[in-house]
Amino acid sequence: MENRNILKNRISFKNITQSSGFSSFSSAGMAILLGLIFGFFVMLFAIPGNALAGFRYVLLGGFSRFGDVFYFATPILMTGLSVGFAFKMGLFNIGASGQYTMGMFFALYVGFMWELPSSVHWIVAVIAGMVGGMLLGLIPGIFKALLNVNEVITTIMLNYIGMYLVDMLVQGNSVMYISTKTRTNYLPSDVQLPSLGITGSNVNVGIILAIIIGIILYIVLQKTTFGYELKATGLNKHASEYAGMKGKTNIIITMVIAGGLSGLGGAFAILAPSAIAGSSMTYEPINIIAANGFNGIAVALLGNSHPIGIILSSLFISHIQRGGTLASLVGYKPEIIDVVIAVIIYFSAFAMIMNAAITKFIKKKFRTKSYQQEVSANTEEIDTNETSDNDTKEAE
Amino acid sequence: MENYIVEMLNITKKFPGIIANDNITLRLKKGEIHALLGENGAGKSTLMSVLFGLYQPEGGEIKKNGKIVNISNPNDANALGIGMVHQHFKLVEIFTVLENIILGVEPNKMGFLQQKEAREKVMDLSEKYGLKIDPDALIENITVGMQQRVEILKMLYRDNEILIFDEPTAVLTPQEIKELLHIMKEFANEGKSILFITHKLNEIMEVADQCTVLRKGKYIGTVDVKNTTKEELSKMMVGRDISFKVDKKEPEVGDVVLSVKNLTVPSKTHKNNAVKDVSFDVRAGEVVCLAGIEGNGQSEFVNALTGLEKPSSGVINLCGKDITKSSIRQRSIDGMSHIPEDRHKHGLVLDYKLEENLVLQRYWQPEFQNSGFIKFNEVRKYAERLIDEYDIRSGKGSETITRSMSGGNQQKAIIAREIDKEHELLIAVQPTRGLDVGAIEYVHKQLIARRDAGKAVFLVSLELEEVMNVSDRILVIYEGEIVGELDPKTTTVQELGLYMSGAKRDGIKENKDGE
Amino acid sequence: MDTIYYLIQNMLPVAIPLLLVALGGMYSETSGIINIALEGIMLFGAFFGALFVFIVQNSGMEPQTILLLGMLIAAISGSIYSLLLSFASVNMKANQVITGTSLNMLIPAVILLFSKMFFNSDGITTNMNFYIKEIPILSKIPVLGEMFFQRTYLTVMIGFAFLIVAVIVFYKTKFGLRLRACGEHPHAADSVGINVYKMRYAGVTISGILAGIGGFFYSVGVMDGNVSGHTGVAGFGFLALAVMIFGQWNPIKILFAALFFAFLRTLAYSISLIPFLDNLGIDQTYYKMLPYIATLIVLAFTSKRSRAPKAEGIPYDKSKR
Repeated sequence: MENRNILKNRISFKNITQSSGFSSFSSAGMAILLGLIFGFFVMLFAIPGNALAGFRYVLLGGFSRFGDVFYFATPILMTGLSVGFAFKMGLFNIGASGQYTMGMFFALYVGFMWELPSSVHWIVAVIAGMVGGMLLGLIPGIFKALLNVNEVITTIMLNYIGMYLVDMLVQGNSVMYISTKTRTNYLPSDVQLPSLGITGSNVNVGIILAIIIGIILYIVLQKTTFGYELKATGLNKHASEYAGMKGKTNIIITMVIAGGLSGLGGAFAILAPSAIAGSSMTYEPINIIAANGFNGIAVALLGNSHPIGIILSSLFISHIQRGGTLASLVGYKPEIIDVVIAVIIYFSAFAMIMNAAITKFIKKKFRTKSYQQEVSANTEEIDTNETSDNDTKEAE
Repeated sequence: MENYIVEMLNITKKFPGIIANDNITLRLKKGEIHALLGENGAGKSTLMSVLFGLYQPEGGEIKKNGKIVNISNPNDANALGIGMVHQHFKLVEIFTVLENIILGVEPNKMGFLQQKEAREKVMDLSEKYGLKIDPDALIENITVGMQQRVEILKMLYRDNEILIFDEPTAVLTPQEIKELLHIMKEFANEGKSILFITHKLNEIMEVADQCTVLRKGKYIGTVDVKNTTKEELSKMMVGRDISFKVDKKEPEVGDVVLSVKNLTVPSKTHKNNAVKDVSFDVRAGEVVCLAGIEGNGQSEFVNALTGLEKPSSGVINLCGKDITKSSIRQRSIDGMSHIPEDRHKHGLVLDYKLEENLVLQRYWQPEFQNSGFIKFNEVRKYAERLIDEYDIRSGKGSETITRSMSGGNQQKAIIAREIDKEHELLIAVQPTRGLDVGAIEYVHKQLIARRDAGKAVFLVSLELEEVMNVSDRILVIYEGEIVGELDPKTTTVQELGLYMSGAKRDGIKENKDGE
Repeated sequence: MDTIYYLIQNMLPVAIPLLLVALGGMYSETSGIINIALEGIMLFGAFFGALFVFIVQNSGMEPQTILLLGMLIAAISGSIYSLLLSFASVNMKANQVITGTSLNMLIPAVILLFSKMFFNSDGITTNMNFYIKEIPILSKIPVLGEMFFQRTYLTVMIGFAFLIVAVIVFYKTKFGLRLRACGEHPHAADSVGINVYKMRYAGVTISGILAGIGGFFYSVGVMDGNVSGHTGVAGFGFLALAVMIFGQWNPIKILFAALFFAFLRTLAYSISLIPFLDNLGIDQTYYKMLPYIATLIVLAFTSKRSRAPKAEGIPYDKSKR
């Protein structure tokens, strides 16, 4: 009787560890842990005396800046969704930066150059941002679908092209650009997104829209035929072609959507209201690729390309970024968080494998224990489920 | 005590969830040809991979000339004089023949290649054994037969004295097989020892001295080939008497379902056309088989038929409708079902649930979706019906991740999906590849059942036995051309072989024009 | 004629980093590992090279000696950094593009952190001048002398030397044959006793060395010896990847591809000196975009007949043969 219970335990343990949600969650956790430990060592190395205090800020500082965490999460949530959505289709959209910048420019342009009723002005500007991103996403989509050019290189090139183009267009527009201050003018207040009214923070409807978009994407991926096709193509391109799915069209649509999501990120960022009356967000055209695009890659990877996971991971990344800013109170540079984020991605690239190895190790321990007590006749019954085709192939 | 050159004693090799070799012993004498017989998945290749150092066994030991040796990688095997021709050739396609032969044991001075030296030795060996090759040709441009000669030369170049051949005849024409068997005998006469993996009984009877039989990873026995019969070997191999004959009644042939006219398909790998001017019809209620050696244009032909590749000229008609330029989806709607050659590459999304794979061809139909949203309840119901009806076994029913299912059940899932969908034509490409005997029987029965239900069945197969037993008509393809049409009732395997190797052909097109 | 001399003299110091890094990418990819981290490795090499120059610049050491030593430091640091990629992609079988991207993100952050902590700036600024006015004897050769051996850098000669070495290693040595086999058909290489893991480590490490040197040469020849965490190497690592693809993984073709891209870039930054183009009145930013747009166009035309190593990007798993 006792034996049977142990057996049951084992099976339920296996069920938990085998569910994909659990494994992606635990591997993200492991990557974060390793990244943070690395960050702690960097802090220890830089200013040994303040390391603990600084690390406390990194971990907990974000909680005292709740509004800001949500505010800064908005753009990276959008670029994260962009990267993650494309990744579901098997496309690696490194071009989120360019699309983000382009979206920002389109939003700026509508904000400055179009006369619209103030009730819809910001909405049109947001939509314009999406269109801008879509245009820049369309190009790698077409290149990939029709010319079979790897999207990694094209999106990287388009980051530079988009950035130079936007900088040039901004600098060439005297309404938008103040050359003496090397930045854009303050946006009219009717284009700025409605604030959520948390004092001392710029948090605005952008985050709510972004989360809604994330949930919509989740539904699209899980419940629709388009999501079914998209995931099938990402998992097995050949099978999707065999099943008559329009792979090329889907590639283009996916890249356009991904571009649009990044573009929205740019729009949300630049149209955010400023806590200081009479000012607004501004853009400095100084030939630098937008960091929020690359942070989107981090967010997407950490969230395992799952829309809900991405919402959580964007909040987490934003949280430690706020913490990093606060750590400067004890003498640390905020770049330390960029280092931590890069390390987290590095580890998350193989966290799944690491995780599987550790799970296996734990299971093995668990199993040897139960085997000792268990009658071996039962084993076959349980193991049949694990016999995968790969194994039988190997045994030929 | 006898003198064995190689002894593999009590070898046990496990993979996750499966014991591939369970306490297997094999002894090889010098100068003998020792056959290793077993079905797919019996553990033959695994055992040889252990001997060649590709796998480390969990139990047992290997002796060479009576001394225990440790073979932890192919280098160790090579040092002991053990060489292997793998079932899937291990050749670098963009390298020349010569580069492939010397790879790993390159003659060099201070790291610089000495190709001239190597060339002389290779050409000497080539001449001595009549293994004709062109040392400067790229692998991607030469025939499968020549590729195999390159693999054999690789072993000879390394002065190996123990030669392992892993199913060497699977890709050869009957004539090439004859040559190979002859060369193997020659090697044995010279004192080389040969391990010969196969599941073809005729070949064993022809060349082997000893035969060890494996079944499902277990050692069944070793017999002296002189004192045994094919029937006895067959019984040892499958564990029961099995008739390869498929029971079927006379076909009731109906209207033309598929009509192919002058189809030509360009090749992706070379400049010639892969399929040249092919014409034929398939009628309702018959099984037509396209037979041929691997790589004679079958894949390209099927791809053109199913819409995966574009033909350069010709017309395909399905039930009287021109589908030459139709999309894959349209062909499916028009009544084409396709059991693909590679079930992992094309047939399934392995990381999808079984139920999701079962609607892979139908998810877009109104039955399963409503304005873009998939009706998961309907999908579940449908999947459960198919699982029940076609006896698809898996751990968690319709929710099982397809990757975790056995090969036979994956194939059953594909067959269920393709047969259950409305169709007039069923295209089955090597539908029994890599399956065990039970699953093969199942597949054959399903194909015949489709025929008897009045559907047209177009089968592409490399297995002579399957070709002879299942089909009502045989078309033989050689270098992209249909070189003959045969009746399985009147033809013989030998004749089929002659056609498949291009040694015989009729002007089929002219003859058939009158019909 | 002077304009042409000027363009060529200015083009070569730009072409050399591209050439070296693209060759590095070629070593890595022919072994089977996609090295998108070239950008980061370049910056890493450039940073340590420049740091070394910064430390010794006032010691009175001969500039060309400093250059050579700096190159050595850059090579070592590049190879060390590349180990992170090898470890992740060979041992941990991680996605190579993701790993590469994380390595690209890490370095600018580290440099900014370090420079802000120790120099209170965005990077390292040196005042060393490695410029060579003319090389004795060789500079006297008519036409060619002026093109290649006047107003140049030692980096140009070194770059060409590496190219020659690459051609020989690739096509004439045992190592080259084995390396190429690993990227094309690792199972075949394994079956003849070649250690695929080791060869892939070797390929990536060589790419690390070359990218490190390429980064240092970029800072010497393009940035006047400076390194910034903000602008980094301005996408040269990515351009080098494009150069490699354009050059079809073949050293000699890669040279021409590198020259082509360098020419476009030099042109973009010399518009004001070329009266004909200057008079067109096109915004200079368009010219700056030129190399990137050219990459897109070139890729569009070459991708159909691309001969990328077959097994690149696929982790090699011994147990799955």
